[in-house]
Amino acid sequence: MSGDTVLTLRAPLRSRVDAAGVAWAELRGLDSTALGSQEVWIEGEGRATVGDLFEVSGAPAPHIRLVGDLALMDGIGCGLAGGRVTVDGDVGWYLGRGMRGGAIEVRGNAGPHAGGAQPGAKRGMTGGEIVIRGSAGPYAGAALRRGLIVIEADAGECAGRGMIAGSVLVFGNVGPGPGLWSRRGSIVAFGAVTPPAAYRYACTYRPPHLPVTLTYLRRRYRVPVTPEHLTGRYRRYSGDLAELGAGEILAWTP
Amino acid sequence: MQIRGVAIEDTFAEAFTMRVARVLITARNPRWAREAALKMTGFATSVIGCKCEAGIERELSPSETPDGRPGISVLLLTMAKDDLSQRLIERIGQTVLTCPTTSCFDGLPDAPDRVGVGSALRFFGDGFQGSKMIGGRRFWRIPVMEGEFLVEDKFGLQKGIGGGNFFILATSADAALVAAEAAVEAIAAVPGVILPFPGGVVRSGSKVGARRSKMIASTNDAYCPTLRMVTATALPETVNSVLEIVIDGLDAAAVSRAMRAGIDAACRDQIVGITAGNFGGKLGPHHFHLRRIMSASRTAP
Repeated sequence: MSGDTVLTLRAPLRSRVDAAGVAWAELRGLDSTALGSQEVWIEGEGRATVGDLFEVSGAPAPHIRLVGDLALMDGIGCGLAGGRVTVDGDVGWYLGRGMRGGAIEVRGNAGPHAGGAQPGAKRGMTGGEIVIRGSAGPYAGAALRRGLIVIEADAGECAGRGMIAGSVLVFGNVGPGPGLWSRRGSIVAFGAVTPPAAYRYACTYRPPHLPVTLTYLRRRYRVPVTPEHLTGRYRRYSGDLAELGAGEILAWTP
Repeated sequence: MQIRGVAIEDTFAEAFTMRVARVLITARNPRWAREAALKMTGFATSVIGCKCEAGIERELSPSETPDGRPGISVLLLTMAKDDLSQRLIERIGQTVLTCPTTSCFDGLPDAPDRVGVGSALRFFGDGFQGSKMIGGRRFWRIPVMEGEFLVEDKFGLQKGIGGGNFFILATSADAALVAAEAAVEAIAAVPGVILPFPGGVVRSGSKVGARRSKMIASTNDAYCPTLRMVTATALPETVNSVLEIVIDGLDAAAVSRAMRAGIDAACRDQIVGITAGNFGGKLGPHHFHLRRIMSASRTAP
């Protein structure tokens, strides 16, 4: 794709790789040498560089594209503040951890804690957008402070755990315990969802912000939004009532 | 210059710089979007008595709105930025927030100058309101008895133009009305403008000041056919009625396009001439010369 910086995996990963040390927030516009010199940590082997694992091509650009099966690579997009990262394949744990802005698109599945918090941090993502074309592991959007996470297939358990604000949209089924301990924020379920006991049914209605969100996602990311999603009604569950109770689970009723 | 036998006077319309916001109102169907827009733009003909000027710019298809629903685009103009914010808060709060199924969006999202609207209206939510950031724009969700009202946090504003105009001089009131209706219909297809008066037409054009009171505007006696014999009339002998079209717009180009379309449509049977209102060029910085505008129209491809 012209205009992108493309990182193509040289060989399949055999061990877990921690890419959280890569300065994702600074990558935009770096030349191939500077980009290739970013450090990663390979489990059982130690320090390595991005250049050791990826072939870097293309001119410096705001859009970085990773190509390959990165299911064993954790921390992709950590702290991202702008620009766009696309992954053509699966990713590991901690996708977009502590992200502040920009966008990440994963054309595959994501491991646990997508959009989660940095170690010791009270807040997860504080801005930006993550679109996962496949499924996400447990704890997607945990401690989300602001931002948008879209999961086109299923979400694992405890999606949006401890959310402070923001939105998690799941087009497939939602695993157990969504939104536990959340204060505010929205979990939108287009598939099956069972709200936790600390959530209570409020009403069935058409939330006016959802057509805006869905129209935006369809236009910007080509998320497969249907007319029924736009015009449908949603069951609203308020919670977590053990916390502030200003959060919500919106369950689409076809 | 004549167009289809109608004399185009060698004069100009004098218009003013104003501040303008574009408000997009969407609803479950076009009917409710229009109901809200009609209320919002009611009693907004002139800043002289209404504090703002407002009107419907055009209908919006679902593909043109942020939420994929049918909508209406409204332009609202004031003389000052602070006034604009206050008028938006008042009018959206009283007429759009209250209208079933509507949502309200900023129609000038790229304008760098912005005023808070949803940020003020949110307090109606009494602490139960919430916000959402979507695509870098903040929206407020205000709980209401029907469900929720969604309104954008800030609205863009820009310099606009108020007071573009032309007069239709006719042999009868009936002929003036038919020509004015044709002009309004033609202008409706021009984006970026509104006609703030009833049905787009003014029968009571005004002059600055008054003879016997401190009113800042009074009847334009030079164009009143009944006063032909008692004042310094500007009317040709065969003219028995005059109607005015007032045009506000986002910029001079839009106002020019609207004047061109409207004048061309108004040039028909029993119309004696087209002229325009001005103050000698001393008050308003924007001058729309009728013959230049219509010449551009006739030479355009």
